[in-house]
Amino acid sequence: MPLAYTLPSNLSPATVANTSSLLRIVALALISGAAIASRLFAVVNFESIIHEFDPWFNYRATKVLAEKGFYEFWNWFDHTAWYPLGRVVGGTIYPGLMATSGVIYNVLHALHLPVDIRNICVLLAPGFSALTAWSTYMFTKEMKDESAGLLAAVFIGIAPGYISRSVAGSYDNEAIAIFLLMYTFYCWIKALKTGSVLYGTLTALFYFYMVAAWGGYAFITNMIPLHALTLILMGRFSSRLYTAYSSWYAIGTLASMQVPFVGFQPVRTSEHMAALGVFGLLQIVAFAELVRAHVSSKQFQSILFGSVIVIGLLGVFAFAGLTYKGWIAPWTGRFYSLWDTGYAKKYIPIIASVSEHQPTAWPSFFMDLQFLIFIFPAGVVLCFRELRDEHVFVIIYAVVASYFAGVMVRLMLTLTPVVCVAAAIAFSSLLDTYIDPVEPEVPVASTEAETPARDSPANVAPGSATTSKKAKKAAAADASSSGLASGVLAALSPSGKSAKPRGIFGLDSRALVIANALGMLLFFVLHCTYVTSTAYSSPSVVLASQNPDGSQHIIDDFREAYYWLRQNTPQDAVVMSWWDYGYQIAGMADRPTLVDNNTWNNTHIATVGKAMSSPEEVAYPILRKHDVDYVLIIFGGLIGYSGDDINKFLWMVRIAQGVWPEEIQEPNYFTAKGEYRVDDQAAPAMKNSLMYKMSYYRFAELYGGNQAVDRVRGQQVPKTGPTLDYLDEAFTSENWIVRIYQVKKEDPLGRDLKTANSFDQGKKRKKSKPLSRRKAVV
Amino acid sequence: MLLLPFLALLSIPFCLAASTSVEDVQEKLVKLAAANNGLIKLDDSTYNLLTHPKRTWSSSIHFTALDPRRKCIPCKEFDPSFTAVAKAWSQVPASERNNHFFATADFDNAMGTFQKLGMQTAPVLHVHLPAEGPRSRGRTAPIVYDFSNGFDAAPLAEQLSQYTPVRIPYRAPVDWAKYGTTAGVTLILLSGVRLFLPILRSRWAWAIGVVLTSLVMTSGYMFVRIRGMPQSGANGQWIAPGYQNQFGQEVQVVSFVYGLLASAFLMLTLVTPYQTHPYRQRLQVYLWSGVILVMFSVLISLFRVKNRSYPFKLLL
Repeated sequence: MPLAYTLPSNLSPATVANTSSLLRIVALALISGAAIASRLFAVVNFESIIHEFDPWFNYRATKVLAEKGFYEFWNWFDHTAWYPLGRVVGGTIYPGLMATSGVIYNVLHALHLPVDIRNICVLLAPGFSALTAWSTYMFTKEMKDESAGLLAAVFIGIAPGYISRSVAGSYDNEAIAIFLLMYTFYCWIKALKTGSVLYGTLTALFYFYMVAAWGGYAFITNMIPLHALTLILMGRFSSRLYTAYSSWYAIGTLASMQVPFVGFQPVRTSEHMAALGVFGLLQIVAFAELVRAHVSSKQFQSILFGSVIVIGLLGVFAFAGLTYKGWIAPWTGRFYSLWDTGYAKKYIPIIASVSEHQPTAWPSFFMDLQFLIFIFPAGVVLCFRELRDEHVFVIIYAVVASYFAGVMVRLMLTLTPVVCVAAAIAFSSLLDTYIDPVEPEVPVASTEAETPARDSPANVAPGSATTSKKAKKAAAADASSSGLASGVLAALSPSGKSAKPRGIFGLDSRALVIANALGMLLFFVLHCTYVTSTAYSSPSVVLASQNPDGSQHIIDDFREAYYWLRQNTPQDAVVMSWWDYGYQIAGMADRPTLVDNNTWNNTHIATVGKAMSSPEEVAYPILRKHDVDYVLIIFGGLIGYSGDDINKFLWMVRIAQGVWPEEIQEPNYFTAKGEYRVDDQAAPAMKNSLMYKMSYYRFAELYGGNQAVDRVRGQQVPKTGPTLDYLDEAFTSENWIVRIYQVKKEDPLGRDLKTANSFDQGKKRKKSKPLSRRKAVV
Repeated sequence: MLLLPFLALLSIPFCLAASTSVEDVQEKLVKLAAANNGLIKLDDSTYNLLTHPKRTWSSSIHFTALDPRRKCIPCKEFDPSFTAVAKAWSQVPASERNNHFFATADFDNAMGTFQKLGMQTAPVLHVHLPAEGPRSRGRTAPIVYDFSNGFDAAPLAEQLSQYTPVRIPYRAPVDWAKYGTTAGVTLILLSGVRLFLPILRSRWAWAIGVVLTSLVMTSGYMFVRIRGMPQSGANGQWIAPGYQNQFGQEVQVVSFVYGLLASAFLMLTLVTPYQTHPYRQRLQVYLWSGVILVMFSVLISLFRVKNRSYPFKLLL
């Protein structure tokens, strides 16, 4: 057999095996290093700090766990959140993340390594990303081979789609959840392949860990049953499937019910019913198979077939009946909004208001996955070509995840692993084909026979139709040995069955394709580095801008303001802000908040929304009734920070309108022409709202008589700014991003605060005006 | 004896005043409503009756401009929904029904009212709450209905039910056409089961379906559907500006580019090795490698249009 290039032939197979295994280990170690290192941009550029919003709560909870122990954490009632309601933390969180850091913390301290809990929290996500790379390697190894596994590990290690959720400091549930997801899937595939109860139990254990760590466990709860169901429908039921699924479902469900936040949901909500249904179906099918193995009568089998269908139908009806009676809760809103995409906007604006719940435009896919996104369909086709049981899993995962990622930006995270796996399969198949030194033998006979056959139709006289047809047929038959169409046909036939010779001629074709492939990989690395360093490594607590000379300028307004609150206000001063900042205030300022990012109580959030969007007189009783001492708002108009409260204001209005449709109405906040303005022509409701007043209070004075400009909206703000009667400006940060107002106490003389203010300013009360009544304050 | 006619003359204003007493107005409105399927057609005078300052009833007033000359397309869309909800209300028992009225004021019949209210756009829906009586909530200014839920009748009935004495018994009409089509398609599929079975059993039919689905989904199809983006922008522009934004045509172009690139990879991996003629094989390898390089460059340049700060580029 001819070779394109020579290989050393004096190596024993054992040496080759040992070397390749060593190389694999080294490669995996390097991949882990790359995965961790690329996530440290945030620490290098800024500092070791917890990012964004939710991580601040996780960090706070972890601190409680580390300082006071697990039982204290488990029974923790947080009085400072959702003031005055409080929050039962143990029963309303997924504790997996905090427990993981707690275990690491205790192990390190037992080894006399006094690592700060904050550093463990900051570095947990990069650490787990290395484990994710390893589990993706194991998963892909089951799909194709080790080399595809290594490629998949590299891809997931540096793909921005996963980095976006796991940079250092992004201490969120997703940080460990993707590792658990991939490892659970790996165990499932392994269990399915071997039919071993051990792997089935391992699947269940990792499933339990996943349930304890992330609400997205419902994805596994539905993926595995869907895979099992598809296999049954394809006629691939086997005792291995039965063993794997039954052991996973029985142990996994019982284990998942131990998490207090999940409780009895696995038997009472629709999200989990698919798993239960497939479990029942498997029992029926297994029983039918058993009977069929012992009875040979054809009639009996047909009866059995009928009864299987009847039982299945009965099961469906029973399920429908239970749902109708209310024993099984229907789909929850969050889940339902994935199918009916208009649902969330209509009925649950609080879900629709979150930016990561928006649908995904194509540039996001490309940004997050670059060339993987277009190789991944090729990998799916390769899976179809072989179509072993585990390939069916990848195919289902690909379809489901690409739909979900299209509906919600956030679910890009679940798409990334399957894209990496499928792309690795395609890419490694390509490299396998072109690195293999074996050249096919040139079939001399066929090439010679082809040339006359090609010419023959032209030579035949046009009158004799029959001969020309024959000649064409002959030509087609000959050409089929080397034509494009035959190549496609040969490629489509499942691998191994086609007897046709296969291989690449010459070195130049190989060199070209491999150079092309290496170039794409290199480009991918550049792209990932660029995206990670620019887009995904900002802590959002600390902002960065550039000075005119190009050096970095750090904007640290948030921490400045939170520390001001911490040091200048009493410990029990209640701070009201929009829910986005609840966790940060609790974490950094350590003050009670009205609402926070755990958006469990819509009415409470709507109350804050109403206070923000109402005029001062209406808002003041609300503030006083909730014991609010300080109101904190985010204002970006001075330096052009676009994520500020005026831009989020419409969501406050919308959410408040959902609860008080008569008092708050969204159209009132637009001008007559339907524009959202903050300048002279702003709508009256807008101008009188507490949020507007607090944002622009004394803003025009900053410009010293010149025209004040809001740099986010690009609009000119009126020269005479709003006045405040019921609030006092308490603190404004350096760049005006955070502004804190103190709520005034009632006037000691029992006057309306407005009247008291005008009295202080020396204004005479007009006689004609009726005496303003004192507001009843409870 | 001039006194008697004089007295009679004096009493005329009282009679008039009596005729506009609240009960009479309500009776008149009930008659007007009954005459037209529960929907009052308003002009300037009946508008004033309906929004009587001492009213004990509530009302939903729909301002519209249905005349073709006004060219108000949304008016035509909303009108059937409002009429359907008004008709549903007329099935409520009279005791409750007469406490809420549905009315339509067309621009061409009630120009004065439109001017008085300074109304610039249509359709607009005002809800007037009772000024007096047990259902009064102390608000006399009308509530403006928020069209954020669209022009459909179901959400309209849902929202208006907050202001009516009892729930509006609106039920969406059965969409026979939809059921008919579904039944028809199911029948055709069932009858052709023998024809379709080989397709259903063929793995490549499924492969095509799966690959097309994932291509379309990863090109932002759901974004276009959920946001209701147009196929292309004004003046023939087909690339939407902005990173988090796209038009319908971009889905087609991007999924085509993705598909072409994926198939080039498949060709190189699966088909080319079966080519037993060295020169033709070489040609194919060069061809597909070229396709990959060129299409990838096109894709990058497309991406650079969307994300202007992206620093890398290939050939283009």
